[in-house]
Amino acid sequence: MKASIVTTVIGCFGVSEDNNIIAYIKFQKDPQIIAEKIQASETEKIPEEREIEDKLKKKGFTEIKKTSNEFIRTNLRALAIEKKFVKSQAELNKLISKVNIELTKIKIKKAVGRDALIMQVSGAIEELDKSINILVERLREWYGLHFPEMDRIIEKHEKFAEIIEKFGSREAIEHPELSQFREKSMGIDLNKADVKIVQNFAKDVLELYKLREELSKYSEDLLKKVAPNLEELAGPMLAAKLISLAGGLEKLARMPSSTIQLLGAEKALFRHLHGRGKSPKHGVIIVHQYIQKSPLEHRGKIARLISSKLSIAAKIDFYSKTNRAKEMKKELEKKIREIKSK
Amino acid sequence: MKINPHKKFEGIFLVNGKLATVSLRPGTTVYGERLVKSGKKEYRIWDFYRSKPATAIKKGLKEFPLKKGMSVLYLGIASGTTASHFSDIVGKDGLIYGVEIAERVLRELIIHAERRGNIVPILADARKPESYENIVFGKVDLIYEDVASKDQIPILIRNAEKFLKSRGYALIAIKSQSIDVTKKPREIYKKCLTELEKHFDILDKVELDPFEKMHLFVVMKRRN
Ligand SMILES: C[S@@+](CC[C@H](N)C(=O)[O-])C[C@H]1O[C@@H](n2cnc3c(N)ncnc32)[C@H](O)[C@@H]1O
Repeated sequence: MKASIVTTVIGCFGVSEDNNIIAYIKFQKDPQIIAEKIQASETEKIPEEREIEDKLKKKGFTEIKKTSNEFIRTNLRALAIEKKFVKSQAELNKLISKVNIELTKIKIKKAVGRDALIMQVSGAIEELDKSINILVERLREWYGLHFPEMDRIIEKHEKFAEIIEKFGSREAIEHPELSQFREKSMGIDLNKADVKIVQNFAKDVLELYKLREELSKYSEDLLKKVAPNLEELAGPMLAAKLISLAGGLEKLARMPSSTIQLLGAEKALFRHLHGRGKSPKHGVIIVHQYIQKSPLEHRGKIARLISSKLSIAAKIDFYSKTNRAKEMKKELEKKIREIKSK
Repeated sequence: MKINPHKKFEGIFLVNGKLATVSLRPGTTVYGERLVKSGKKEYRIWDFYRSKPATAIKKGLKEFPLKKGMSVLYLGIASGTTASHFSDIVGKDGLIYGVEIAERVLRELIIHAERRGNIVPILADARKPESYENIVFGKVDLIYEDVASKDQIPILIRNAEKFLKSRGYALIAIKSQSIDVTKKPREIYKKCLTELEKHFDILDKVELDPFEKMHLFVVMKRRN
């Protein structure tokens, strides 16, 4: 004789094939405990289920399976009252809501992986870059009142801020290319207080550079653990960007490579679909060093090749978690050489 | 202040001409909506810029079947802007099962579900109704779908087949942009309606422009 064990919010049932309830064990009426039981029941046999199994065996059932059951499912409201688990439908509603809130909380916790950290950091770096740019522009304008000649000579932003932070006023600067302009500068003079404040501003800008450096190291470490294959093949910046654009490593792993190729080009694609503009050939993967180093006529082909490799890398990272980065990289390089030699 | 029940729809009120529902949890807002106290009751203004059913009612929808005590399956419940008003309307004898795929927005819904007691948050993909068949008890009186994805129509049909009572109601906000950006909305609506008519009787429909661009709100009844 066949029977099934069915676990629900109100407890466990033993049901025969012709939908007779042979056994029933109530859960304790506490949403937290019920949620834990249901959660556990997804992966193991909980004590109540074992007890039901014993009872079914004693009644002569031999084939016993744990399943969901349409009969119980559709009649559960009536059963909850009949078995005196609750007094009213409103009470049952409240209980169902509470139990599922607990279950959903557990699920949400599990759904968020460490790739979520990569996405936050990648966003933070992007915003930092924007902020740093704005602030450095301000610093150049500001310090330019005092020493306008320096602007064109020191092109690197970070260096520019460093010089101000280190020396302060124009007169104090010791720098081979700058000294000659000091005496005849057309900039205004600054007093001590003026200098101090712009120096502090430069210092804070440099702090942001440091923070950026720290974040990108951290992101690289995360990537090496979460997505080592993708990190090796794409480089840390692009790998993080792809995970972010896809909305997580799992989503990236599920994407067809043609979609990966266009990640970050959604706006252009949208315009194209509306009959405005060309269809884009690639999204953010354009920054990949292998594409950057290739002549224009090969870029389309290489972009396609790279996205297919990145797609495989993301799949390995998400599903098997083995590190095959080195061999994949060699293979990719070989294929690129083939394209170029044609 | 003038407060009147809506002429046609149970559980919906007009507070100085603005749509509102009676709060199940006085003193708390869900999405920054305005609260209006009157006697023992507190009304929550139902912002038709933020919630599609309210837009549809504002634009003259003639059928809105949601009522006190109903059980509802809500696909794409997000953080609960609209669902909070549904929760007010069905009251404590009703129940709203809310399916949502993105945990980020569901996190916010949970806070309101905890306060209200008649919302069941479900982290799942509405394309896979099997994955929540053990959570939804029996059949529901009404399904509402607002998922903004390409397969909106098949999602509704599959969920209705599994969970909707015979002669139960189905409501959907069709977003033409999610189905095909290259086609004209009216063309898409027509196709969708033909598909829906195979399973439902269409009771009413209204376009939500200009408040929600390129959306059609449809109210239906399951045929068998
Ligand atoms: C337009 S928003 C819903 C807004 C909400 N109905 C309101 O008015 O308050 C669409 C929601 O559907 C969710 N969604 C999209 N596809 C889904 C799917 N396949 N299953 C479940 N939810 C989905 C999205 O994550 C998003 O939160």
